[in-house]
Amino acid sequence: MMMKIRITLNGKSISLEVPAHRLLLDLLRDEIGLTGTKEGCGTGDCGACTVFLNGKPVNSCLILSGELDGAEIVTIEGLKIGPELHPIQKAFIQDGGVQCGYCTSGMLMMSKALLDENLNPTEEEIRFALSGNLCRCTGYAKIVQAVQDAAAELRRMRAEG
Amino acid sequence: MEQLTIVGKPVTRVDAEEKVTGEAVYGYDLVLPDMLYGKALFSPKPHARIKRINTEEAKQYPGVVAVITGKDAPWTHGESIKDKPFLAQDKVRYIGEPVAAVAAMDEDTAQAAVRLIEVEYEDLPAYFSPEEACKPGAIPIHENFASYRKFDFIVPGSMPNVCEHFKLRTGDVEKGFREADLVLEERYYVPVIQHAAIEPHSSHAQVDPESGRVTIWVANDAPFRALHEISEALGLSQEKIRFINPLQGGGFGSKGGLKVETIAVALAYHTKGKPVRVKFNREETFISTLTRHEAVIHIKSGVKQDGTLAARQMTLYWGAGAYAEKSPTVCIRGSLPAPGPYRIPHVRVDGYAAYTNKPVAGSFRGYGIPQGAWACEQHMDEIAKKLRMDPVELRLKNIFVDGDLAYWGEQLHSVGLKETLIKATQAIEWGKPPGFPASQLGGEEARRLKPNIKIGKGFACISKPTRTPTTSKAGVLVNSKGEITVLAGTVEIGQGCSTILSQVAAEELKVPLDKVRMAPLDTDMIPFDASTTSSRSTYHMGNAVRRAAIDAREKLMEMARPMLEAKNEELACSNGKVYLKDQPQMALPIGDVVRRKLGNDGIVRGDASYTYEIGKDLDLETGHSDHASAFYMYATQAAEVAVDEETGRVRILRMSAAHDVGKAINPLNCAAQIEGGLAMGIGSALHEEMVIDSQGKVRNPSFLDYHLVTSLDLPEMIPIIVECPEPEGPYGAKGLGEPGLAPTPAAIGNAVADAIGVRICDLPLNPERVYWAIQQKRAKGSSRWLTEVA
Repeated sequence: MMMKIRITLNGKSISLEVPAHRLLLDLLRDEIGLTGTKEGCGTGDCGACTVFLNGKPVNSCLILSGELDGAEIVTIEGLKIGPELHPIQKAFIQDGGVQCGYCTSGMLMMSKALLDENLNPTEEEIRFALSGNLCRCTGYAKIVQAVQDAAAELRRMRAEG
Repeated sequence: MEQLTIVGKPVTRVDAEEKVTGEAVYGYDLVLPDMLYGKALFSPKPHARIKRINTEEAKQYPGVVAVITGKDAPWTHGESIKDKPFLAQDKVRYIGEPVAAVAAMDEDTAQAAVRLIEVEYEDLPAYFSPEEACKPGAIPIHENFASYRKFDFIVPGSMPNVCEHFKLRTGDVEKGFREADLVLEERYYVPVIQHAAIEPHSSHAQVDPESGRVTIWVANDAPFRALHEISEALGLSQEKIRFINPLQGGGFGSKGGLKVETIAVALAYHTKGKPVRVKFNREETFISTLTRHEAVIHIKSGVKQDGTLAARQMTLYWGAGAYAEKSPTVCIRGSLPAPGPYRIPHVRVDGYAAYTNKPVAGSFRGYGIPQGAWACEQHMDEIAKKLRMDPVELRLKNIFVDGDLAYWGEQLHSVGLKETLIKATQAIEWGKPPGFPASQLGGEEARRLKPNIKIGKGFACISKPTRTPTTSKAGVLVNSKGEITVLAGTVEIGQGCSTILSQVAAEELKVPLDKVRMAPLDTDMIPFDASTTSSRSTYHMGNAVRRAAIDAREKLMEMARPMLEAKNEELACSNGKVYLKDQPQMALPIGDVVRRKLGNDGIVRGDASYTYEIGKDLDLETGHSDHASAFYMYATQAAEVAVDEETGRVRILRMSAAHDVGKAINPLNCAAQIEGGLAMGIGSALHEEMVIDSQGKVRNPSFLDYHLVTSLDLPEMIPIIVECPEPEGPYGAKGLGEPGLAPTPAAIGNAVADAIGVRICDLPLNPERVYWAIQQKRAKGSSRWLTEVA
């Protein structure tokens, strides 16, 4: 069944006609052409496809397009602050949190979700928040370090207003 | 030696920014104009004859462009043995083997049409253990094995289903056993696991109907080798084939050779010039790409009372799965050093790679070393226990040092093993009495400590050869803006080669790192490289890029000589400038040199090729070679574990990993490689296993059921870089990619045995296995636990 939906994607309002059963992941990647959101499993087990749906992180492979009318979606392509990399992106580069990079988009989105709620997470809280995002390359240590450093930078930015 | 400016520095990755913004395009992301979508039908039978395939209904389905079976793609391929059809021919040999394929206007249509294909099978007896498959009387999984084309070095031997028999013969093991004070014999088992890169497999292919040219877009780790394999299979000259490599979202050995590529190519011959994309989903990736070899390993050693190794005999059965893929070379390079990095006068090794009716096994980070180490290094600890010797002392008594003649006939040099052993064990406070390391755990942990928690320490050592001999070629371009482009066929699989090779080029041309970029990988334009495997790239391609950069630099200096009015004065290069050594103010930026000589569009190109030539070929009767490997990687990892005797759960408290890298071109990247290897090794030690049932079906083909380590599963990791320079390596570098996980399970196994007093011979050390081992010890006083192999 084709459906007309209107969504806000990375701050821009767009209208689409899509099959209602099309996964948000496929909608983003195949129909809209935003391939920064990655498919790792298609069954909600790896977190590579994490995006923000109405402010909350979701596995976009578990969301049907038919549910999306009026939704606000932010993907990795919308993470930058203007032309500047987000502090989380900078920290992943600086600390070596990226290797093959395929899990990176999902990791960044989930890290942002954590830091949106808690700007002062413990290592345990970071590890718990990222436990649904699988990475096969890094061993997570440098990713955890990057989230800690991003948190410190965001706290500094907030303190400076 | 000249001061290094960029090599040796922990610079951040050159490819990180495009990855954190989502701009990087991976194989799985690639969309081509006018592309069709392919899906495959997979065999539901482990071993069966195909009696009939009916594709009529699928062909009629609206939106379908092509439906093909093995008859439409009459080609076979294989790296060392040409045994694998593009699509099943006449019979299927494992559950998951591609039998037919559909190309359609979209993926849903292709999948719907696949479901309409009917196949009638006639079951055949199947084998699921390599030991069973090669017993006398076993029926052949490949009836026509004798007629397959093979590499010259393949020695199938006389047993059924054995596609390679590797032999190592040094001294006389029987004599060694007679002279020994202690003879110990054990059996170990390593199950099937999978690479599980987060990016699943995919390939795009297009056949130009007029020229017949085949173009393949795939994140393959060895595009030149894959090109050669396709060329041999299709009987098409190499100029008619082109591989374009998008980024790879992890591979770990799984994305070499040909898997999904063959389906895409076969379909592309039936789509009238339109490109076809075939994407495997996660389940298809699990059942139909590649696995790591299961291994049944028998090990027997003779030892003197003082700990000196007198003899070692090993028999290793490598489960190849249904097709040979890289099994012959895994068997050779995994079996050869399996007796461990020790001086042993009498050694006999028999490695058998045996076909089974399981998914195909192939290269996996470590290439057979983790399996051998799981047996050898636990066996070493058992010897130490029997001799009442400290395991470190036992290793030090026998360990390879510079100048040793290894049991495969090679004189060793640049051996950093001892330093790794000392540093790794020190990092977990080896030798301190067993007890709870309060300093390592907080108060919360201490409260949780109960008498049922047992603490233990263990370690393991390895040496790993690299694929030898091989060649890497490279080009380095300098334009009139002073920008550098590196042409290198090394594939960025996440390991960081683009950063390492950029550092090498920047070092030799004395420019800042941000002036260097890597050219995209396209076999039409990039010089040859053997493969991005075997931890060979930093050494081989590092040497090639370094020499190509030096070639470019020398050309620039020659061009600059008249511009600087230099006659016999010596020229030098630094900070992106060529200058007179004695008058540094007489300088020209390298871009200006190019522009003044060749104009704004000018480019100066340096080229080089690096080959490490083998001394003598491996002797097929003795397994001896005077240069079996261009270099060796050495490592020791040490673990401290807590085992809950009530639940069998093993928790790693801390783990050190000391790796001899020769020279760390980028220490940050080295640490990242070590940590990533450790994490993978820990997964394979504690929970990873592809559960394949008695009918050959993978029971856990998802990330829900195949447990990869998560951020919550890992201990404190202590990466330690040891630098014992390799004279032939660039700046002294060796390699690092693979060894990170090789000693890990054995180190953890030794720590678990130390904790609970039971030797567990099978992986993984999951709670169930550990729990029952403890129960058996309590019931029978047994200190060994070996579950039967299915």
